[in-house]
Amino acid sequence: MSEPFKTAALMKELMAKYYDLGEESRRKGIPVVWVTAVFPVEIIYAMDLYPYYPENFGALASARKVADKLSMAAEAKGYFNDLCGYARCGIGDAYSLEHPVGKILSPDLLLCCNTQCGSLPKWFEAAGRFYNKPYFLWDSPMIEDETSDIKQNYLIKQLYELIDFLEITTKRRFDINKLQEVVALSSQATALWNDCLEMAALKPAPFGFFDACIHMAPIVVWRGRQEAVDYYRQLKAELEARLEKKIYAIPNERHKVYFDHIPVWPRLRWFADMFAANDTLVAASQYTHAWAMNFDPARPLETLAEHYPHQFVNRGVDYRLKLKMDFMRHYNCDGFILFSNRSCKPNSIGLYDKKRMLTEMTGLPGLVFEGDMSDLRFFSEGQIKTLFETYFEQLV
Amino acid sequence: MAIKELLNRFNAVVTDPYSEARSRKEQGQKVIGWLPTDVPEELIHAAGAFPVGSLGSCSKIRLADTHLQVWVCSLMRGSLEMGLRGDLDFLDGLIIPQTCDTTRAMVGIWRQTSLIPYIDSFMMPKQVKRSSAREYLIGELTRLKSNLEKVTGNLITNESLGTSIKLFNENRQLLRRMFEIHADHPGLISSREVYTVIKAAMYMDKVKHNGILQDLIQAMKQKAARSIDKSNPKVRLVISGGVWEPPEIMDLIEEAGGVVVGDDMLTGMRYLSPDADEKRDPLEALADRQLNKIPFAGFDNQNYERRRFLHNLVRHTEAAGLIFLHLKFCEPENYDYNDMREALNSAGIPNLRLETEVGNPSLGQIRTRLEAFIEMIGGDPIE
Repeated sequence: MSEPFKTAALMKELMAKYYDLGEESRRKGIPVVWVTAVFPVEIIYAMDLYPYYPENFGALASARKVADKLSMAAEAKGYFNDLCGYARCGIGDAYSLEHPVGKILSPDLLLCCNTQCGSLPKWFEAAGRFYNKPYFLWDSPMIEDETSDIKQNYLIKQLYELIDFLEITTKRRFDINKLQEVVALSSQATALWNDCLEMAALKPAPFGFFDACIHMAPIVVWRGRQEAVDYYRQLKAELEARLEKKIYAIPNERHKVYFDHIPVWPRLRWFADMFAANDTLVAASQYTHAWAMNFDPARPLETLAEHYPHQFVNRGVDYRLKLKMDFMRHYNCDGFILFSNRSCKPNSIGLYDKKRMLTEMTGLPGLVFEGDMSDLRFFSEGQIKTLFETYFEQLV
Repeated sequence: MAIKELLNRFNAVVTDPYSEARSRKEQGQKVIGWLPTDVPEELIHAAGAFPVGSLGSCSKIRLADTHLQVWVCSLMRGSLEMGLRGDLDFLDGLIIPQTCDTTRAMVGIWRQTSLIPYIDSFMMPKQVKRSSAREYLIGELTRLKSNLEKVTGNLITNESLGTSIKLFNENRQLLRRMFEIHADHPGLISSREVYTVIKAAMYMDKVKHNGILQDLIQAMKQKAARSIDKSNPKVRLVISGGVWEPPEIMDLIEEAGGVVVGDDMLTGMRYLSPDADEKRDPLEALADRQLNKIPFAGFDNQNYERRRFLHNLVRHTEAAGLIFLHLKFCEPENYDYNDMREALNSAGIPNLRLETEVGNPSLGQIRTRLEAFIEMIGGDPIE
C-alpha cells in the first residue's frame, strides 16, 4: 500500500461530514433512506433526501475487526453465520446493546437493488420489519449477455414506480432537471475515479487496488454531489504529483496481478504487505471498478437503468470471464487471484471453474483462496500464507 | 384397487424417478428437466416435450465438490452431482429457476459441465406487488416459450397451451382434493405417502398420474366413510421450508406421533396451487398463477407476509405446532426465520427448526428433537 496520501485528510473530513449530515437529517426530519451500494442514489440526492449505506457500515465494522462480535448478536436471533457478513453486522448491531463502531443509522425508508445479490433484499426486508418502515425493491433480473427490451422496460418502469413511491412516502416532488444535474456530478466523479484507477496500469504505478479500497468511500457515499468531484480531482492531482516525484504504490514493482472482488477487510493491511513484500502490485479489481460508470446526463433515468443493473455480478459466466480477462490485459497482469468469499455467494460460486478456464484462456497462473470479507472466524492465516507463498513462486 | 396397491404405484415412480422420462426419450419425445421451483411445466408440455423435475435426491456426493464450495446447499449440489455423473444425460433441456444467489450461479456451472444441449434460466420477478412485475413476467414467459419452441421444433399455440393448462390444473385440483381428505382423516394414509403422491407428479405423465390419483381419492373416500372412529390420536403439524428431504423425515414425524396436515414446501403445497385461469390468455394466466403463489423466501411478498401466512395456515389446519425443515446453507429461509419464529411465538404456536440436508440420512439427532417436540405439544389443538 502506498505511503499516506495528503488527500487522506480530506477523506477524513468528508466522511465525518457525511455521518454528521445523517444525524442532522434525522434532527431536521429529512428522511434517512437506506440504499444499497450499487443503487441509483442520484434520485435520492435529487430529492434532497439523505442516503445511508448499511453496506458501508458493514465494511467499517469488518475493517475494525468487530464483525464477529456483531454477527454473534445476529446469530443469537437465529441468523446463521454463513449469511453475508455485512448483513450480519447490520442485523447484529440492530439487536446489540453495544455498538463498537457507532450505532447503525435507522432508516425512514429502505431502497434496494438486487443487481449485486439476493442477500441485500433479504437483509433489507428483515430490516424493514425490524424498524417497521416501507421497503422498495428495484428488481433487476440477471442480464446474461445483452440486455433485452423486456428487461430494460421493466427497469425503467420500476424507476417510475420508485419515484411515485418516494413522492408519496416523503411528500416531496421529484424534478427531472435536478436529477440531470446530479447525474452530471456523478458522471464527473466516476470519470475521475476511473482516472485514478487507470494509474495502476503504469509500471511502476503510483496507485493500486489496496489504495483504491481505502479511497473508494467517497465514490460510494458522495457520488452525485460536488464533494465527490472535489475529492477525486484532488486525489488525481496528488497521484500525478507522485508520479513526477517517483513515489510508487510498492517499493519494487516487478509483477502485477488482478484481484477478483472485495478485499478481506480485517486483513487489508496484511494482504497489502504480503503482496508488497513479493514485489507484486494488485493492480485492479472488478470491485473497485464497479463505481467507474460513465453516465449520460442527457437521458438521466435511462442512463441509470443502463448502468446499475448491468453490474458484473448480475451477468452470465461468459461476460464475467471476458471482463476479468479484459482487466488482466489492460493492466498487463502476470496472474490473477480469485477470492472465494463465503459472505458473497454470487461472486464466489463458480470460481473453481472460472480459475481453470481463465488459466486455459490466458496461460496466466491463478489462485483461489477461501475466506470471508468480514469475519475472521473464517480466515485461516497460516493456510492462506502458505497458499500465496507457493503462488508467488509461479509469477515469473 | 386397494389403497396400498395404488400407493405402491406412486412409490415405484419415486424410487425410479426417470424411467418414464427415459422411455419417452426412447420413443423420440423431447424431455425437458427443471429444478425447484416454479418453472412453468405447462409451457414444456405445450411444446410437445415431457417435463420432469430434478429434485437432487442424491447421496455420496463427490464430483460436485470440485465445482462447488462446501457452503453451497445440498439441493443444488445433489442435482449437479446427478448431472456430472451422467444420470441426466437423457435430458434435451434443463430449466433452472433463479430463486436465490445459488440458483442464479448454477446456470453457468451447468452450462460449463453438462452435455445437456439447452440450459436456461427462469428469471421470475422478485417483487410481486407492483404492476411492472406482471408485465415483465409475461415477457419472460414469452422468452421461455420461444426458446422451447426452438428446442422442440414445435409451435406453442394458445390452443395447445390452453390444453396443457387444463391438464395441469386438473392434476393440482386432484392433489389438493387428496390432501384435504388426508387432513380431514389423517389416519387413512401416512404423511410420507401423501407427499410421495405429490412428488410422483413431478416425474410422471400427468394423464397417468391423474388416473391413478382419481382411484386413490375414491378409495380414500370409501375408507373414510367406513371408519367409525373419527378421532385421531396423532398430533397435527404444519411443516415449512424448501423440500422434505431426506424422505425418512416424514417417517420420523409419524413415529414420534405426529402427522403433517399443511405445509408451504416447494415439493408440497407450492406445487399444487394456485390454478391458472382457463378463461384468460394462457400466458397471462401463467403469469398470474406465478404472482399469486403462496409466499416463500425467494421473493418479497408485501401483500401477504410469510409470518401472517404461516400463522393463518396453522389456524386453518388446526395444527398443534409447526416444524421448519430448513436446508443447511439456505440463505433465503434463514433471513426469514427470525421473523417467522417470532410471529409464531407471539401467537403461542409451538415451533421447531430442523436443519436438513438432501441425501444425508443420518437422522439420529433429528429423531430425538422431533420426539421431544411432539411430546411437549401433545395433542391439544391451539385455542
